[in-house]
Amino acid sequence: MNIRNELLCIWSAVLFVIIFTIGIWPLTHFLPPHLPTASAEEIAALYQDRTWQIRLGLFLMMGCSGLVCAFVAAITVAMKRMEQGAGPLTYTQLSAGSLGAVLLIIPCLVWTVAAFRPDRDPQLTLLLNDMGWIMLFMPFTTFVVQNIAIGLAILGDRNAAPVMPRWVGFLNLWVAVLFVPGGLLTFFKKGPFAWSGVFVYWVPLVVFLGWYLVMFAMLRKSALRAGAAV
Amino acid sequence: MSEQATRSHPHLPGESGVWVFILGDMLMFAAFFIVFMFYRGEDVALYAKSQLTLNQHLGAVNTFLMLSSSWCVAVAIETARGGRPRGAQGWLLSAMACAVGFVVVKFFEYSEKIAAGFTLTSNDFFMYYYMLTGLHLMHVLLGLGVLTYLWFTLRAPSAASTLRTLESGASFWHMVDILWIVLFALLYLVR
Repeated sequence: MNIRNELLCIWSAVLFVIIFTIGIWPLTHFLPPHLPTASAEEIAALYQDRTWQIRLGLFLMMGCSGLVCAFVAAITVAMKRMEQGAGPLTYTQLSAGSLGAVLLIIPCLVWTVAAFRPDRDPQLTLLLNDMGWIMLFMPFTTFVVQNIAIGLAILGDRNAAPVMPRWVGFLNLWVAVLFVPGGLLTFFKKGPFAWSGVFVYWVPLVVFLGWYLVMFAMLRKSALRAGAAV
Repeated sequence: MSEQATRSHPHLPGESGVWVFILGDMLMFAAFFIVFMFYRGEDVALYAKSQLTLNQHLGAVNTFLMLSSSWCVAVAIETARGGRPRGAQGWLLSAMACAVGFVVVKFFEYSEKIAAGFTLTSNDFFMYYYMLTGLHLMHVLLGLGVLTYLWFTLRAPSAASTLRTLESGASFWHMVDILWIVLFALLYLVR
């Protein structure tokens, strides 16, 4: 096993987080989120006033999302060690994680369509803006399945020296539960369960970032140990 | 969390890792409760008026079921410690029966509310009512899965590791119980 390739995939997570943050924060200003209660004119004005920043920000967000595939691959390699060969949980994680990358890319493309002709009918801009937000924050299913697969693989690790500590397994299960409320954003335009709300936007964002940090550290440790064992 | 995990005295029930999940989950629900109380403070009249439509009897029955279930799990652990896995399995079944009862009561409670025209989007109080009790119900269903798993581990018990697994699962179940007690107080009783 080439440890250098594995470390490359693990470090790609850092690059992803940095570029995505630059895109979503200073460029598009999609952090903090748009309000679901905003009028069509207000939303259209956002795209008209910051057209090039939004286009560039979305270009970066979409552009770095492919790196998620590399990170998912790194998790897959670590899970193969846990399951001692590619078991069903490893494959579940691989496919769910890859779909997760798609679910990052598509909202960026939808928002890009909105920013492509910012002078069109504000109602259409509103439609596309809604579509992007709902696509990014509602589909918890792949993330939940991915996290449960990782959690169960860690807890089911029968190696004499487990690949990851068991608390990381429980952390993954907890993250899975935490993403579920996001799916209910479809019912709300305001309050903590709307897409701009604390339990759909802010908590998952912070937890997602924390999860990335923990997984990054644990994968790196696992790769270095595997490299030393060769 | 790590502080909890590394302190070896007094005895920490279950394996330390499971407390990452339990404390994380309790943190999440604490956030729910704070947000609820904050928004309730903004419009006490609406919340108080909506609260009156809740069926306190069903809420109380569920509190009783939740407490009984927790007690059964505690007895199951004691029985398993005493080296009687079959007896422990019986207590676990009783705990599961209470949990199923909880789910059934919740089903009737929701039906009653929906029939009366109160849904998720009726007003802010009902948003919290359905979201918080719904997320709790999801935990009850998860817990039923955990209790079932515990029942199976007792079929071929291997002393120490089985007891540790039992304690981990029981700790989770007690958390589900505690969360309900707080929910019951906040949604049904607080004045």
